[in-house]
Amino acid sequence: MSLDLQQVLPQVEHLGQEAARRAAEASVRLPRLAQGLLDAARLERRELERRLAAAPSTAHPAGPTDESVDARFPLPPHPPRLRLLAADGSQVYPDRHAAAFFYIVNIGSIELLQGSGRPPQIATRSNLHFDQDDLQDTRGLPVDTHLINARRDAAELAELARLVEAPIHPEGHRDDASGGRSEAPAASAPLGAGSVEGPTLALLDNGLLLWAASQEQKASRPDVQRVLDEYLAALDLLRDSGAALAGYISRPRGANVVDLVEAAAGEAGGTRPGLTDRLLFGRHLEAFTRSARFRHPAKINHEFAARGHQIQFFYLHTGAQDGVARVEIPLWVAEDASRMAMVHAGIVEQCRLTGVPYPLVRAHELALVGQDDRRALDRLVQAALIRHGISGLASQKAQTKRWTGRRRRHRL
Amino acid sequence: MTRASNDSERPALSGAEGRLIGRVTRCSIQGFAGGIRMTEPDLPAFGALCRAPAQGGRSQVIGLIYEISIEDDDLARQLAVSDVPQEEVRLDQQFVRPIPIEILALSLGYHNGQGYIYDLPPQPPNTLADIHSLLPNEVRQFTASLAFLPLVLAAPQLPTDSLLAATFRLAAQARPESERRAFLVSAGRECARLLSGDLGRVNNLVRSLQG
Repeated sequence: MSLDLQQVLPQVEHLGQEAARRAAEASVRLPRLAQGLLDAARLERRELERRLAAAPSTAHPAGPTDESVDARFPLPPHPPRLRLLAADGSQVYPDRHAAAFFYIVNIGSIELLQGSGRPPQIATRSNLHFDQDDLQDTRGLPVDTHLINARRDAAELAELARLVEAPIHPEGHRDDASGGRSEAPAASAPLGAGSVEGPTLALLDNGLLLWAASQEQKASRPDVQRVLDEYLAALDLLRDSGAALAGYISRPRGANVVDLVEAAAGEAGGTRPGLTDRLLFGRHLEAFTRSARFRHPAKINHEFAARGHQIQFFYLHTGAQDGVARVEIPLWVAEDASRMAMVHAGIVEQCRLTGVPYPLVRAHELALVGQDDRRALDRLVQAALIRHGISGLASQKAQTKRWTGRRRRHRL
Repeated sequence: MTRASNDSERPALSGAEGRLIGRVTRCSIQGFAGGIRMTEPDLPAFGALCRAPAQGGRSQVIGLIYEISIEDDDLARQLAVSDVPQEEVRLDQQFVRPIPIEILALSLGYHNGQGYIYDLPPQPPNTLADIHSLLPNEVRQFTASLAFLPLVLAAPQLPTDSLLAATFRLAAQARPESERRAFLVSAGRECARLLSGDLGRVNNLVRSLQG
């Protein structure tokens, strides 16, 4: 017997009731919170900063920027041509029960020239990590999922930095020196590095602060620091290329602006089930408008700021079903009106099709390592081990899971 | 059972393989189905020949593709109903993004390592066996004998006449130009002989071939 739905059914019912109760409570508190945003905007900047600094340590209020915290910005015009780049990654974590100990980071990317009438070009970069340096952290412990995730995030950003400088080559299928595989239809017109058309918007399906590094206890580790350095170097390249960069967070659960409003009202630290920035800006923003920019409150942002990459964010009403998304940008995008307009208009336009930016949908699809891929890789690894005289068997436990995990349904 | 009759028609399968056009998802002695994701320019053609290994690789079942379907895809459906058409996205879906396709093939014979046998195979291909299109030289060798025709004509509920016309055209294209007409004439004659009791179908087939 696997999941006993009969047992779970009352809990599911309770879950529904609880969600409805929280939504009702949030809707009662939301008008006051929205008014609080307007009130916070009327405070003198110095007074606002003082109240934020006095917020309890459990609150993580967003920092105000040069834009009034209640500001709304209409949709700017979309450029006639826009070069969109997107990268996303997935990973296969190491499995001590597998025939060999390794992990994979797989990065999918797409380059779409909107307004060109040409098919986009795609690439996938698959990297097998099996060296001792890859599999152990600097303390000699087996690599953990946080570090693998950080390496994946850094690889996503590095892929964007690479694409900004060297577009995916259009000559059909090709393996390049860096081990990636690019695909483009033979019918597509050649597009060399010198013929890049229109401004460039690079998109990530995530926030821009390296999550593993943002956890204080991990940031001090040399291996995490090394990944952070690579990440910041990729940000340098992107900034210097003239491209705009944005991290897109669909259905965000953050409450940094709620924290700001409550801290500004001197009420920070109370319980507020279900109240999120998304709810607040769902009320505050009209379709296709964006909020003011805010400083990301994470401590690691100081390190980003020291390298010229302070991370800011704003909320954007995409006009799609999910409504409000959070968009993170580095300071050099935030302070450049043309790059900001490109981020705002470009994301809204791409959301019209699929609710989230189309290039991110495709990059995710290209990055995904499915069960079939995993099984095929396992077979290749086993064969390679056997060719070199090593037993290519998975552990007995893995085998028993395989036996029981794929139950056949016999039809009468 | 009909065997290829002389040495020139009894070739070993070449080491080279045609394009991968699917992996077997279900199969029987009479045919097999295969699925794969591929881009539109790579789609196999109706009436093309393919092969899939059987009996642990000791034989290759030769299949005739009689159906190609594009499976349901949620993203494509979402884009289809979108009222914001974007040319680059349409091109992406049509030419770049692999689409899930299913092919259905009728078993016409098999290669037993020594030559082609024009009869149903002793065993079907196994699940997930790679399905490759036949290379032009393999198409020439397999269609050097028309002994596979009875299996096609006997297949129930298939668009047999259009299928054979497509197969003959593709098989002719795999031959040097100087041999194409002679091949088509001989294929037409053999069909006329086998369908002698059904002049309507013979007419249909000849019309399809002329088209």
